[in-house]
Order: sequence, then C-alpha cells, then structure tokens
Amino acid sequence: MKSVIKQSLAAAAIVVAGVFPAKAAEYVMSASADYSGPFADVMPSAMSGIQAVTNWWNKEVGKGLGVKVDIKISDMRYDAAVIARTWPSILSRDNPIMHLGFGSPDLTTLMKRLPTDKVPMLIGTAMVGLVWQPKGWHFSIRPTYSHEFAALFSKMQKDKGSKLLIGAVSTQTAAGFVDQVKGVEKLAATYPDRFEVVDTQWVAASPVTVTSNIRAMMEKKPDVILVGGTTAQVIATASALEDLKLNIPIVSSSHNGLSEAAKGIDLAKLNGSYSVFSFAPDNQKDLPLREIYQANKDKDGQWGLIADQSAAQALLALRVLERAVAKVGADKVTGEAMYDALLANTFTEKELLGALPALKFNDTAPFPIGDIKAKAQIVKDGKIVPLGDAWMDAPALEKW
Amino acid sequence: MLPTGVNFATYAGEARLLKTARSRVLLALLLAALLAAPLASGPYVLGVAVQGFIALIAVLGLHVTVGMAGQINIAQSAFVGVGAFATAKLSGYGLPFWVVVPLAAIVTGMVSVLFALPAARVKGFYLALTTLAAQVLFPIVILGLPTEWLGGLVGMPVEPLVVGGFTISSPRQFYYFTLVLAVVMTAAAFNLHRSGFGRALKAVRDNDVAAQVMGVDVLRTKIYAFFVGSLFAGVAGACTAWFLQFVTIESFTLFASIWYLGMLIVGGAHSPIGAILGVLFITVFQEGLHEVGTMIMRSNAREAGGAIFAATNIALGASILLVLIFEPRGLAHRWTVLKNTIQLWPFPHR
Repeated sequence: MKSVIKQSLAAAAIVVAGVFPAKAAEYVMSASADYSGPFADVMPSAMSGIQAVTNWWNKEVGKGLGVKVDIKISDMRYDAAVIARTWPSILSRDNPIMHLGFGSPDLTTLMKRLPTDKVPMLIGTAMVGLVWQPKGWHFSIRPTYSHEFAALFSKMQKDKGSKLLIGAVSTQTAAGFVDQVKGVEKLAATYPDRFEVVDTQWVAASPVTVTSNIRAMMEKKPDVILVGGTTAQVIATASALEDLKLNIPIVSSSHNGLSEAAKGIDLAKLNGSYSVFSFAPDNQKDLPLREIYQANKDKDGQWGLIADQSAAQALLALRVLERAVAKVGADKVTGEAMYDALLANTFTEKELLGALPALKFNDTAPFPIGDIKAKAQIVKDGKIVPLGDAWMDAPALEKW
Repeated sequence: MLPTGVNFATYAGEARLLKTARSRVLLALLLAALLAAPLASGPYVLGVAVQGFIALIAVLGLHVTVGMAGQINIAQSAFVGVGAFATAKLSGYGLPFWVVVPLAAIVTGMVSVLFALPAARVKGFYLALTTLAAQVLFPIVILGLPTEWLGGLVGMPVEPLVVGGFTISSPRQFYYFTLVLAVVMTAAAFNLHRSGFGRALKAVRDNDVAAQVMGVDVLRTKIYAFFVGSLFAGVAGACTAWFLQFVTIESFTLFASIWYLGMLIVGGAHSPIGAILGVLFITVFQEGLHEVGTMIMRSNAREAGGAIFAATNIALGASILLVLIFEPRGLAHRWTVLKNTIQLWPFPHR
C-alpha cells in the first residue's frame, strides 16, 4: 500500500512538474549606454546588438539551462560623474551579475569599485594600455588598440618584405588616443627590424585640415598612416592625401573606422585604407551572429560594425554565464561566479560563433591573453570589404 | 520686505540672517527634512543629491565672483578641477579630510588669482576671454606636468574619504558629508552679503569708479572676488574627487563651466537663493527627465532609447528657455515675489 502511495505521489509530482515547469532563474546584466552624450548617434545600434543576442540566447540556450537574462540599460551619458552616481543604484536595484561597459568613463570610474562590489565588467571597445593592470575586474573582449594595429601592421610588413614605416596622426587631449601611439611605438621598439614610427603629428580632435601636417610627415616617407583617434581625423587625413595627390593607406580602428568615415567622405577617397579590430567584420560572409541579430532584434538599430561589436560583447558575457551555471548551478550565479568562470575557461571561436577568436583571460591583464588576433576591413573600388577570412596574428607586446 | 509688526531694537537684530521666528522654524524644518531624506531615498536619488550639493557649492562660488562682484568667470569647472586634483594629491599623502578640504580650497584660490590679475585692466567680454584661457590652460598644464605629479593624461586615483575613522563610501554617507559642506558654504555665501567685503564687492559690481571714490580698493576687491569664489570651487572639487574616486581632466570641461553659469543665470545671479534655486531647478529637471526616460526605456520601449533621450534633452532645453523668457531676472526674483505675497497676506498691497 505504502509503495502504491509513494508511486502515486511520484507520478503526481512528475505531472505537476510538467504542467507547472520550474521558474527560470532570472539574472540581470546591466549595460552602460550613451543616449545623450557624444555617442548618441550610434547607441541604438550598439544596444540593439546586446539585446538581440540576449533575446536569442534566452530562447535557444537559457531556456534549456533554466536561466533567463534581463539586460538593464542605464544611460550614463559617457560621463564619469553620471556613472559614479548611477552605479550604486544599479547595484541595489538590479543586482547585476555582470556589467557590460562602454568606453573609458566606465573604466576609470568603476575599475576601483568592481573588485569590492564583486561585479565583473566586460566592455566591447578595445582596451588601452593605461589600465593594463593586474587583479582587475574590468575586461574587454578585445586587446588594446595597439595590439590590433600591430596585427595589421605585421601582415602589411610581411607583404612588403622590408621594414614598415609608420606615420601617426593623433590628438594629445585624450589619454586613450595618446596611448594608442605609445603602444605602436612599443611595437617598433620591440621589433626594430620590422617597424619604425617615422613621425607623429599631434592635431586637434576635430581638425579642419591636416594638410600641412601630412605634408610635413611625407618628408619621412611613411608606408602607412595610423589614425586611431577620431573619425574627423580620418576624414581630414584622407582629404589631405587627396590635396597632396598621395596614395597612402590610412589605418583606423572600429570607432573611427571606414563605415564611420563613409558618413562624411566619399569612400572612393579611402581606397586602400583599413579598419582593424579584434572581432569579425560585420560584412564577413558566413557570420551566424548577423543572422541571429536580424532574427532577434527588437526596434531601434541596424546591423553594422557597432551592432556587431556589441553583439559579440553580449555573446561572450552569455557564454561566461553558461560556464558559471555549469560550475555553481542555475540558481546560484553571482558576480563572483561570473568572474571565476571568465578566468577559468577558454572560449572557443566556435562557441563564439566566429564573431571572436578563441579567448582566454587571466588576472594579469584586462584583455584576452595568449595569441592575440584581429581582422580588418579594406576599401576596394569604393566599397568596404573584409580583408580576407583568416584572423591576423598580433606580434607579442610587453606592457608600455 | 518684512511682515507688519516686525521691527528691531538693535542693528545686530536687523542684521540677522534669519530675522523672524517663523523663518528660523522653517529653516529648521528644511534641515530636518534634508537630514531625514536618505531614509526615504534610493541610492540613485542620493547620488543625484550629492551631485546637486557639489554643484551648489561651485555655483555659490560663481555667485560671489559673477553675481556679487560682476566679474565674469567661465572657468569655474577648471577651478573645481584644480580643487579635485589638489585633493587627489593631498589625500595621497595621508592627510585627514579636515586638512585636505581647506588646503584644496586655498590652492584653488591661489591659482585663480593668476587669472584674476587681468581683471584690473579688462571687463565684460574681455574678462570672459581671460577666464576662458584658464579653462583652456587647465588641461594643458596638467598634461605638461610630469606624469608622476598629477597623473597627466591618465589621471589620478583618489584615496577613500575617511571621517572620524569611518570610510565614507556609500551614497548615504556621501550625502551627509556633502550636505554638511553645502550648508556651511551656503551660510558663508549668505554671510558675505552683510559683511563689509560683500558690500565692497557689490559696490565694484555696480560702479567701480564710484566704488574707488568711496575708498574701495577696486583691484584688490576684484582679485579677492576670484579668490573667494574659487575657495568654493576648491571645496566642490574636493567633494568631486572623493565621490568619483578618480580624477581626470576630462571631468572638468568648458561645458561643465557653462552649465554652472547657466544654473546661476536661471536661478538669479545676485542672490545665494538664486544659486540654490538654479541648481535645484536644473538638477531636478535634468535628472527627472533622465529618470523618466530610463523608466520608459526599461518598461516597454527598451530599444527606443535614442528617441526617448533625444526628447528629454529637447524638454530640458525648452524648460530652461521658458524660465528665461518668463522670468529673465531669475527664479530668485519669483521666490522673492512669492515670499512677499505670503508674508503680506491677506493684504494684497504693500
């Protein structure tokens, strides 16, 4: 009789579990946005990348794990003061297990607080050497800008067969932009037989013209001009090269890259110029992330390099969550568990859907360690196309 | 204007800041409400309040320089930055806060004197340009100094604020710390008006030739106006440094200086009440709209953040314009009219 009752109860429990499935554990990932600051124009696309991948993950992966992720966006205005006063409320109101950061104000304001608050931060923009410090809880999906430039310069140097002469155009009023140049100078100092920074022209962040600067630079005969700062500088440099009837490739990053410059200048004038970054280009063929975005995006935003980058950022964060769930259980994930999962695992290119190279983190640097890789886009016949399908290897760089 | 029946037997009585029992009771109630506010407020609201108190201290300084002495200053944010960097440096030596705050204020005041000297020869827009030079030079000087001094481009971490052995880190603790400083600085600003120095400032503002004829040392008064205004900026800078925990030149921009000036103009430049109302109006409106935008974005329009926040910025700009169109003398004037109406009630006329 007892066994009959037991069996009946067990059967009832199974039925109840089927009819009323256990509620998924809900976690918040907070995200910094800049809807009312200098990056307001690209923010809808940036946030749509994060949200679309999260929508997809909740349906395809989270459901199976018994986990649901809610993205809580806060408009930080790209302002350290706003971040400083908003962060405590994010902690108390949202209790995030990870923060998806955006740019240097997040880094400088939060990097000292995160270890105490036990919330890791993952940013999508490239790192800067300025915050290359151990034991931090701030990480980027990308290495430093200088590492990314180094990967492209390495390929260009190999193609050239002799020392690559690099000229740089930057601005001294933004710490991160100066740091880019310092990193490339470190590259040249580390590999003097392969690279040389022949000249650096310091110009305004939004210059009207840099023609005289480029004319002065040409005396040093650079093979390539690095413009890692602003889109305005890329456009001014391209105009200067046109004025001087010169055909030298410009190397830019993602935030000031070809697709951004194309908003202000005819792409034909940038023929042969590059954007380089450590994630797959948005127009790369066979990029599953693009299909995921298109199928899961809500309202604002459109696919492009910015959405691509933030989608990759969210994807890595969600893969970290999967590892944390595997380690501590679906209902016991904390910021600390996320931090441990990020550092304890290697994330393969396959599970990152080809959007990022294989990534491994440790506590010595706030960016991926090991073999650092990048991809690039180039302007050909007035169109932006991926520069090959393969990842380019960045030469090893010591801290500068 | 005082209610009928209020008169004074002594000059000291007439010179009091709070002349009637009712005003003293109302102030006590206001202070009690400010002290109790954290009990009913979340960390975001407290963070906004902290920023408001810091802005109030900076704008009160601007009130002294611009409102009382008539010396245009569009570099208040740079002076706040000087105070912040001084605090970052001094706190790094392990000095207690009660030493750091006055020292940061004095350092800021001394720096401002350099840019006050042109006030001896120029006025109005020309003086505005010399203070603009201060704002432009601020980052250039920080960048030009050896990195180990003030951090250069990278900026400087700030040692945590310790008061009486307790580390001040939570929004509620920062709220009380900045509230105390804001109250002290507000009292100082009100007191200036009834001092001989305050009257000299106003004499210089109204007519510097006449002031000189009456025996006011105009050059010294103008320099003191910048010095005292920057003491306030230095205190605001100290609070900013401890609140942000990291200071960089990017936090102290011309844009911020213009916001400070805008708060003073919206509130009314000639009265500390104007500084208070200007900071209150801009902060509440800006943050209120921002919070509404965030709530909408988080509730049912997650992906429409771009349109929402564009609309909040337009609403903020429109509200400032409306205030300036309908009350060009500043909110302080409206406050005075309202106060008189209440005090004279039920009689409609003086």
